Amino acid sequence: MRKYFYYPGCTLKTKTTNLDLSTREALKLLDVELVEPDGWTCCGAEYPLTEEKIVGLAAPIRVLRDVRDEGGEVLVTTCSFCYGVLKRANKAMQDDPLKNKRINAYLKDDIKINPLTKEKKTGFEEYHGEVRVLHLLELLREFIGYPQVQARRKRDLRGMRVAAYYGCRLLRPQKEMGLDEPDNPHIFEEFLEAVGCTPVDYPFKQECCGSYLSVSLPDAATEASYRVLRSARMEGAQALAVSCPLCFYNLDHRQGQIKEKYLDFDGLPVVFFTQLLAWSLGVDRRVLGLDQHTVSAASLFQDDRAAEVTQ
Amino acid sequence: MTPKKKDKRIGLFVCHCGVNIAGVVDVEKVAERLKDYPGVAFSTHYVYVCSDPGQQMIIDTIKEKKLDAIIVAACSPTLHEKTFREAAKMAGLNPYQIEIANIREQDSWVHKDKDKATKKAVKIIKSYVEKSLQNESLEPIKVDIHKRALIIGGGISGLQAALDIADHGYEVLLVEKNPSIGGKMIQLSETFPTLDCSQCILTPKMVEVSRHPNIRLLTYHEVDSVSGFVGNFKVRIKKKPRYVDESLCNLCGECEKVCPQVVPDEFNMGLSFRKAIYMPFPQAVPGTYTLDAANCLGLLPVRCGKCKDVCDPKAINYDMKETIFEEEVGAIVVATGYDLYSLQAIGEYGGEKYDDVVDGLEFERILSASGPTGGEVRRPSDGKVPKSIVFVQCSGSRDTEKHNPYCSKICCMYTAKHAMLYKHRVPDGQAIVFYIDVRAGGKGFDEFYQRTVEEDKALYIRGKVSKIFKEGDKLIVWGVDTLTGKKVEVETDMVVLAMAMVKADGVEELVKKLKISTDTHGFLAEAHPKLRPVESLNAGFYLAGCAHGPKDIPEAVAQASAAAAKVGDLFAQTELIHEPTTVPVNTDLCSGCAICLTMCPYDARSLDRERGVVVVNEVLCEGCGACAAACPSGAAQQRNQTDDQIFAMVQAILGE
Repeated sequence: MRKYFYYPGCTLKTKTTNLDLSTREALKLLDVELVEPDGWTCCGAEYPLTEEKIVGLAAPIRVLRDVRDEGGEVLVTTCSFCYGVLKRANKAMQDDPLKNKRINAYLKDDIKINPLTKEKKTGFEEYHGEVRVLHLLELLREFIGYPQVQARRKRDLRGMRVAAYYGCRLLRPQKEMGLDEPDNPHIFEEFLEAVGCTPVDYPFKQECCGSYLSVSLPDAATEASYRVLRSARMEGAQALAVSCPLCFYNLDHRQGQIKEKYLDFDGLPVVFFTQLLAWSLGVDRRVLGLDQHTVSAASLFQDDRAAEVTQ
Repeated sequence: MTPKKKDKRIGLFVCHCGVNIAGVVDVEKVAERLKDYPGVAFSTHYVYVCSDPGQQMIIDTIKEKKLDAIIVAACSPTLHEKTFREAAKMAGLNPYQIEIANIREQDSWVHKDKDKATKKAVKIIKSYVEKSLQNESLEPIKVDIHKRALIIGGGISGLQAALDIADHGYEVLLVEKNPSIGGKMIQLSETFPTLDCSQCILTPKMVEVSRHPNIRLLTYHEVDSVSGFVGNFKVRIKKKPRYVDESLCNLCGECEKVCPQVVPDEFNMGLSFRKAIYMPFPQAVPGTYTLDAANCLGLLPVRCGKCKDVCDPKAINYDMKETIFEEEVGAIVVATGYDLYSLQAIGEYGGEKYDDVVDGLEFERILSASGPTGGEVRRPSDGKVPKSIVFVQCSGSRDTEKHNPYCSKICCMYTAKHAMLYKHRVPDGQAIVFYIDVRAGGKGFDEFYQRTVEEDKALYIRGKVSKIFKEGDKLIVWGVDTLTGKKVEVETDMVVLAMAMVKADGVEELVKKLKISTDTHGFLAEAHPKLRPVESLNAGFYLAGCAHGPKDIPEAVAQASAAAAKVGDLFAQTELIHEPTTVPVNTDLCSGCAICLTMCPYDARSLDRERGVVVVNEVLCEGCGACAAACPSGAAQQRNQTDDQIFAMVQAILGE
């Protein structure tokens, strides 16, 4: 059993527990144990990167520093936002000497109190970007290997036509993220093939879903999400796979409003890529958290004994 | 070792260079302080030594004071060394007895403190006095010239240069790697701003080249290697097997009819197909079929042989082999042209994915009367006439972040031409052009662009395009209108990308063979951006056309003619003069270790195994001094730059 540090992020513990649960269950079947760093906090969800303020970066850097201090070299996350924040904050510590100096000066006087023992911990070492931040897709591709995933499949997904949705956070800015080519990505599509789906090519895979406009300009978010879903639908997708809880919110929960506004739209199930992974590896259907979907995705996860892969 | 000639009479002329030197260095004091320095027989200062009266002063003083050598303390020797050497020659002095002490670039221009700068000037001059005392009188090395030119590339630039040099009366070898000459220009439809048919104005030149008694046309040939030096290059040329005897082929076309192999046609940018045995285009020069071995079945062990069976004049020969021959030439004109930036490089524009997103050259073929659609504007995917076309300028140009930072120069004009021609062919069509700004600086260019906007109603949107994708039958173009500050979404039938012009594919290998330099983008570098724009820094190499950077047809032609004129200058001389400041070998000291051979970038040195010493071809030696620095025994000493001289100079600077 290999062990990796895993950062779920806040949303996975509240609104989208299905993303968290399916991730853990799937990785168990791939002989990977995910360990949460002790007392992790919110990463700051994008805000640390929006302004040239140092204080916002303290949260993600503290998480990374704890991982290092607990002996971790790698931190895995599935949420695109957490991934973006952790990776870019980490990169700033590696490449920007001024930021590095200022944040370390700020974190020098940290006091961490154990909630149970009330024990105080001080004297943290400076952090210089030693931990490698990985998205789960990267872990699957580079550390576990897609062929390994393919070999462990227990269920046949029968070439389900799935549109991979990268959204805005996974790929850009390329120089900092470096996950894949922003204009011609394929890591997600390769994953879909590995779990037995047929990836659907459509031009909106890297377009924004509307993100925070969900709150301030809901109409704009509705339109943005509609165009993504419509494009995937036009190319014949049976489902759209995401890795980000916020994308999931806009693309799934918002479909009621989309249908009201755009009469031609007839719905498209949205799933987390980890649900597809877990399902193909043989995880029990009840663990997938399908009740958290507004648009039912139940029909995609039908147990059919005949379809089971005999290994 | 040359004995020190302490009995020399040296004249010193300190230049004010207006205030350039005199503003910081006290020139009077410098002249005064060196008056009595050993070896200096005369010392003065003057406001502009390079002026006519200044030079006359040098000539008169040399005669009057019976000077053996002079030192001019002035600007860098790259500027006026030649001037003063000529002056000295007029006074009967050997030109290699002239030294320039640089007290401008190396002193007055880089210092402020007058006192220290003056002291430094004195030291610099003293070091040159020491050097001058040991200078020998040298005679230039004279070399013969092979009055033949090699031209690499048979596009418009190469053709023009070949014709001009041939008309000067010199022999020309024109090497073209493709089966026919004509280059990119022969693929174009009509040319801006006059809308002349490109083929109609180029084919007469192609025919002229093929018939010119002074031009030897070598199509389907490549330069294999080049050695030698200006006036005396040895070029190895590779003849690629055409498998068709040019002199026998009568263009009946029977071979093409029976050939079973169909491949994309390069001439039509892959928009149509050709056979494995083919003629690139009807007016190809030389007029002959070529068998493309990479696609032919017949050259494989199991032969197809259909074309050979039907060839009446027996022109087809599968046993032709690649051959290499050597030629001697005196000058080389590099006119290797350009290529377009690849559509794949800009993923978000979808050029790779969608057939109806084409580049400028593909659209030229679509517009051309000899093109795949016979000049009708039809889109590649389904042959429909596009009711609107979006043109995207600066695709891959002027993008410092991801693509090429430079302007490709011709795209504004050819896009205006594309929009105009499209409107002429499809009167109810709408041309939409995305641009950063329209650069129409040329004779009749802006008027042409205005016509496209006003008469042909092209819609110009100022802004860049972010993404192009397909929805159903239509292409959707996302962009921005920076004049209104709004996002724009355009639905269209076809997109033409004005892709950046980039260095020709594979030119880097040729450049290595020629040992000439390029700029950061792989275009050939000129010797001086303003004063020597058509020459390479390496003597004997000349640049023409887009190999040197993006340019339009008239500019390419002008540069080709200029390069030809430069070649004419070279060939008009009876012999070439080579600098005598070479590095000979003192055979008494040389142990034959051959370390200097590895240092020499010009292949000027070789080992005489019988005598166990190194010998030097002084004609090849450029006097860089690398061997002299590497020689462990001091056998390699550069003329007028010996170790003794350098030590004496160092001592003069450190002394006092």
